[in-house]
Amino acid sequence: MSILPDNIELRLAAVAPSGIEFTSSTNAKGVGCAWCRLASKDDLRSVAAFMKGMGARLSTITILQPKAPSAPPPQEGETPVVPTFFGGVASDGKTFEIDYHFDVDGDTLTLVVHVPYGGDVESLTPLFRCADWPERELMELYSVVVRGHPDPRRLFIDPGIEGAVLERLIPFSTLVNSATTKGLWEKILALKGVQS
Amino acid sequence: MSNFTVPVGPLHVALEEPMYFRVDVQGETVSNVDIHAGHVHRGIEYLVTKRNVFQNLVLTERICSLCSNSHPQAYAMAIEQIAGLTVPPRGEYMRVIADEIKRVASHLFNVGILAHLVGFESLFMQVMEVREMMQDVKESVFGNRMDLGANVIGGVRFDIDAERIAYIREQLDLIAPAVAEITALYRTNSSILDRTRGIGVLSHADAIDCSVVGPVARASGINYDVRVKAPYSAYDRLEVKVHTLADGDVWSRAMIRLAEVATAIDILRQCLDNLPGGPTSCTTERPPIPVGEAIGKCEAPRGELIYYVRMTDSPRPERVKWRVPSFMNWDALRIMLKEAKLADIAIIVNSIDPCVSCTER
Repeated sequence: MSILPDNIELRLAAVAPSGIEFTSSTNAKGVGCAWCRLASKDDLRSVAAFMKGMGARLSTITILQPKAPSAPPPQEGETPVVPTFFGGVASDGKTFEIDYHFDVDGDTLTLVVHVPYGGDVESLTPLFRCADWPERELMELYSVVVRGHPDPRRLFIDPGIEGAVLERLIPFSTLVNSATTKGLWEKILALKGVQS
Repeated sequence: MSNFTVPVGPLHVALEEPMYFRVDVQGETVSNVDIHAGHVHRGIEYLVTKRNVFQNLVLTERICSLCSNSHPQAYAMAIEQIAGLTVPPRGEYMRVIADEIKRVASHLFNVGILAHLVGFESLFMQVMEVREMMQDVKESVFGNRMDLGANVIGGVRFDIDAERIAYIREQLDLIAPAVAEITALYRTNSSILDRTRGIGVLSHADAIDCSVVGPVARASGINYDVRVKAPYSAYDRLEVKVHTLADGDVWSRAMIRLAEVATAIDILRQCLDNLPGGPTSCTTERPPIPVGEAIGKCEAPRGELIYYVRMTDSPRPERVKWRVPSFMNWDALRIMLKEAKLADIAIIVNSIDPCVSCTER
């Protein structure tokens, strides 16, 4: 049996004044999995604090830019309707979705927030020490800003490489060029003042 | 006493993979550690969105060699959930068999390296010799020593007949007493105890704070194992003993791994005794994968491995995100290395069984 409490939806709604959309399921082996979409990213900190109080562990954080839903072109004279996510943020293909996956003693509860392109989100590091690396990683993958992060350095990608790497197409040859170019050798020669 | 900053890595004799530790020392004692990662970052999270669901099974298996079976397994579990596929019972048992064979080899490798770092070379060779017996099992059953290629969407693509079952049993009968002998050595030998007891301590409170997983967490008294807390495959029908210790030092982490090797052998025997008949996969075709999102979790040798998959109307996933157990355990090193002696750094780093390829993807 899932160990998430029966009234979890009500308790989550109580700490998220802007509203939530909650779904949950239990699989054949009794493992629970719940999704809680927050109407406003500003409720994230208070809901995360509630999760911490429940003894939840922040497992990981996923960030993505969901594709905009395909819609028929508007008829003449009609204003095009921009689809939105729960909470009203435009689903324009550029909005970020950030999923915070929590482990509650085996069950998984995912908090979902939507951040408009160019927007920011509050850091969870004051509540969860382990949010440090995942937040550093999501800042190098996309141009989203994590507010209040104690150490917003690059995590894996070299500072010399342009950021937001998942927002653009990178040809495979470019992705693996460290193994095939003479760049490093030429740099060393240049430093030594030798003409190559 | 003088203060120095000592670089350890990224290429270092005691590290199996590249990682750069910037260690501030006061005399011979570590005062602070800064970890610089990214030397084997390959952009695999980007690559998986450029390949279809089935091609990604092959790619995820190549993220890391030591837990190569856990990646496609957790990935397949997430896809099966989206597609509503149920793995047949024999397939579930086969997944456990592949998983536990990998666990035995992975844990023995780490414990063997500990002996090497301590300077106890004959013990290192003894452990690696036992591990080699499990490598023989992998090669005989799967045809490969590291990447087993066991999983498909909907089950597994290997089966074992009576002859293979008898062979695995024979090998387990050889490995089990050898592991017991090694465990007794680690428990009593002063060369091991002197270098590992009370070294690199991670307290229970710090372990919770850092959210560490796997043997690192269990050695600090956290009773968490995905196989028990969120059962998958056939683990809900098997007896899985979870081992914990209270001290959180290098020795405790090694002893947890050795205990888990014995448990894995026990689980393998349970599987061979109760192997149900029937198919090993619910489909021989490539099933259609609908729109959806799901999470797959499993207990890799180093701890909880979690996969998140989002499918849209494309045959390629919109996003696949995975978090490997080592990713959580690096930060704890900063606590374990505090006040440690310079000479113990390699032993402490090895004690989290770090996997850099997994961490950086």
